[in-house]
Amino acid sequence: MPVTAALGGATTRPIAAQNAFSFAAPNAPREHQRIFSFGNRLFNTNWVMAPASVKAFDGLGPLFNRVSCSGCHTKDGRGQPPADGHGPMESMLLRISVPGEGPHGGPRPVPGYGDQLSERSNHDVATEGVARITYTEIAGYYGDGEAFSLRKPDYAIEQPGYGPLPADLLISPRVAPQMIGLGLLEAVPDATLTALADPGDADGDGISGRTNRVWNAETQAPAIGRFGWKAGQPTLRNQNAGAALGDIGLTSSLRSAENCDAAQAACAAQFNGGAPELTDVFLDKLTLYSATLSVPAQRGADSPAVMEGAALFRGLGCSSCHMPTLQSGGHPLPEVSHQTFHPYTDLLLHDMGEGLADNRPDFAASGLEWRTPPLWGLGLVPQVNGHGFLLHDGRARGFAEAILWHGGEAETAREAFRNTSKDQRDALIAFLKSL
Amino acid sequence: MAKTLKTWTAVGIALVGTTQILEAAPSARVILPHNPAFILSDGEGGEGASEGGEGGGQAVSSYKLDSTDPTAFAFDAKPQIEAYATLVHQSYADAATGADKMAAAIDALLDKPLPETLAAARAAWVAARPAYLETEAYRFYDGPIEAIEGDINSWPMNEAYIDYVEGNPKAGIINNGTETITGAGLAAINQKSDEADVTTGWHAIEFLLWGQDLSTTGPGNRPSTDYIAGEGNNDRRRAYLKAVTEKLVGDLQSLEQQWAPSVAGNYREVFEKLDQREALGRMVNGMAILAGFEFMSERLGVALDSGDQEDEHSCFSDTTKQDFVHDLAGIKRVWEEAKLAGLVKSRNAAVASEVDGLLVDAEAKIGALGDPWDAVLRADAASSERKAAEEAMASLQALADGLKKVGSTLGVLVLIPTE
Repeated sequence: MPVTAALGGATTRPIAAQNAFSFAAPNAPREHQRIFSFGNRLFNTNWVMAPASVKAFDGLGPLFNRVSCSGCHTKDGRGQPPADGHGPMESMLLRISVPGEGPHGGPRPVPGYGDQLSERSNHDVATEGVARITYTEIAGYYGDGEAFSLRKPDYAIEQPGYGPLPADLLISPRVAPQMIGLGLLEAVPDATLTALADPGDADGDGISGRTNRVWNAETQAPAIGRFGWKAGQPTLRNQNAGAALGDIGLTSSLRSAENCDAAQAACAAQFNGGAPELTDVFLDKLTLYSATLSVPAQRGADSPAVMEGAALFRGLGCSSCHMPTLQSGGHPLPEVSHQTFHPYTDLLLHDMGEGLADNRPDFAASGLEWRTPPLWGLGLVPQVNGHGFLLHDGRARGFAEAILWHGGEAETAREAFRNTSKDQRDALIAFLKSL
Repeated sequence: MAKTLKTWTAVGIALVGTTQILEAAPSARVILPHNPAFILSDGEGGEGASEGGEGGGQAVSSYKLDSTDPTAFAFDAKPQIEAYATLVHQSYADAATGADKMAAAIDALLDKPLPETLAAARAAWVAARPAYLETEAYRFYDGPIEAIEGDINSWPMNEAYIDYVEGNPKAGIINNGTETITGAGLAAINQKSDEADVTTGWHAIEFLLWGQDLSTTGPGNRPSTDYIAGEGNNDRRRAYLKAVTEKLVGDLQSLEQQWAPSVAGNYREVFEKLDQREALGRMVNGMAILAGFEFMSERLGVALDSGDQEDEHSCFSDTTKQDFVHDLAGIKRVWEEAKLAGLVKSRNAAVASEVDGLLVDAEAKIGALGDPWDAVLRADAASSERKAAEEAMASLQALADGLKKVGSTLGVLVLIPTE
């Protein structure tokens, strides 16, 4: 196996199966095994409404999207849009805001609602509404005349529970990404990201990656963002605390206020499951778990089609943003420290064009910008999660559509793909499937 | 329920299962290729990566360690492989027989729902469990169990997904659904949107027989009146219990068929034709992963750290200690009855005697565990019950380490998920 097939460096496992995303990094110290296993238990825990007989695991809601982490990240994998186009959704959510800046420069919450649509709630509390997705097919052609069709989604919120939604409502749909290799990404030094960034396109290559500037709730200070579809969270602990509150309704030391808007009286009046509901001990174990999931090795790296596709990936310009190689620095977890690994991301924000835009700013990220997502593990999503939907909202039905949606800074690379031969397109997709 | 026969074909050295539905099932379940121990081969690259479709590529499985010395692993393991196949077949046959007896007791309960018939059905569940637990030493490689294990023994489970729970008398499929309840229909939604939304298997049956365990002094206490026909949602509960029981029996019988001798195209036929060290690799990995991961971390460690009765493997019936004893017994049976002990002894007597000793130690430590297990979970961190549990975990860790040495001795790779 070529060295680059060890996508996750020393955290790689040569496993391609339905639970390929669910193993611990093989280089983890033995004393982490028990913490990891408990973190996995927390990840799979169905939180219940307080007060419950299970004191350690109560505190769900009052408003929430799912009752467990694994509800969205099933088998530590990737979510998808609802097949029938309406909520409550299983593994996807809508962030919401109104124009302007909110606390610490983040999105400005929608009055009466907050910054995320909660499609589920405890008894006696109204849900905020349900998502409705409608798709329009858009026809297109490859350079060789072969037809394709892309589905363009439109998002609406029905049955609003807390008064009319504002006319200037901004919606950003997000599917749950796969959980692998996150500690490696956390261990990439800030200095690396700053050095990779080229906000003014000084080198004139048409690619101007930027770092997001977000709020670290732990240090109470601004920080570089690196997790989430728009790099809205600086660390995994922040990401986990944010998801626990926003998605499940669990308070923690980082996010101590219940997920209730000022106007949601019944929500604020609910019994809580302790202060905080997710203790630091639990948050720390969950964070170790989320940082140390093994990355599956590339499959068939030395097969001719995959090697040809890898060359095209560079040749067409994909690798300008989906950077094949990063290095981690020092990190409290030895298993992710000082590794060379292959995530196919630069962790930077790029303007991806109008077609993909959510038009909802998120800290320094504009409505046109998205953080380059890692590509590792994408070829295994069909096996792990039984679907092949890609992009931030699952609109793409496979790799070709995902590439064809690229615009903005990626327009040149997309056109190169669109105009290359069918054999070369197939080779590129064979490479992506091997990751 | 529809009868399915899965036939196995070797692709490289991976076994790929294809399921043929022999009778139309109302909702056949698509089973994705599932192999917790898929190891990618180094030399044979390219398998599957170039194939079309959205399959994600089929990996090649290899447990065989390469050696530059061609004589390094020149031994004949045919007796071990044959003895193993015989043992596995007998174990699944015993498990299926026990489940079948339980099904008869459950039929008697449904026929006359009384405290006595309910007690007899529970006793039959308890009596059927050991044989099944012993088969868990045959998990964690790409055997036929992997495709349906989730339907057979999933836990912990969200009880409210099935039936009423304290504080929610109208919860679950039994109290809310209108669809006809069938085993295939329940399997189709098993763990569909959440891993804890378990609908089928031993623990679903356990919950239906005992109800929630809300007591600190005994198991669950579901009344037999829950099964009186025609009252409330009892008819749906009756149908549910019957459907999942029949499905469990069918699933266990299908596993028995996969390991039965002289059945063309079944897993045993392929297993016996494998390169000997590929077969040995499956045998040793099944034992080692059960000891060092599933049993030690998932069933002991996680439960101890959460202190939550929900993490008790068989929480409704309070029979978790029995599960522990028989999981270990299953490992020991492979060691002894599949003649691994003798083969290892002939190659490295020190390793063989070390594993013998580790098994004795683990038996003593598991035997010393408190019973019921939920009382151990409630015990103070400094208590003797907790100390005994920590010692049991350490003994399983040591056993897993010993089994890794068995792997080295036999020239097979042993990969435990979390180390």
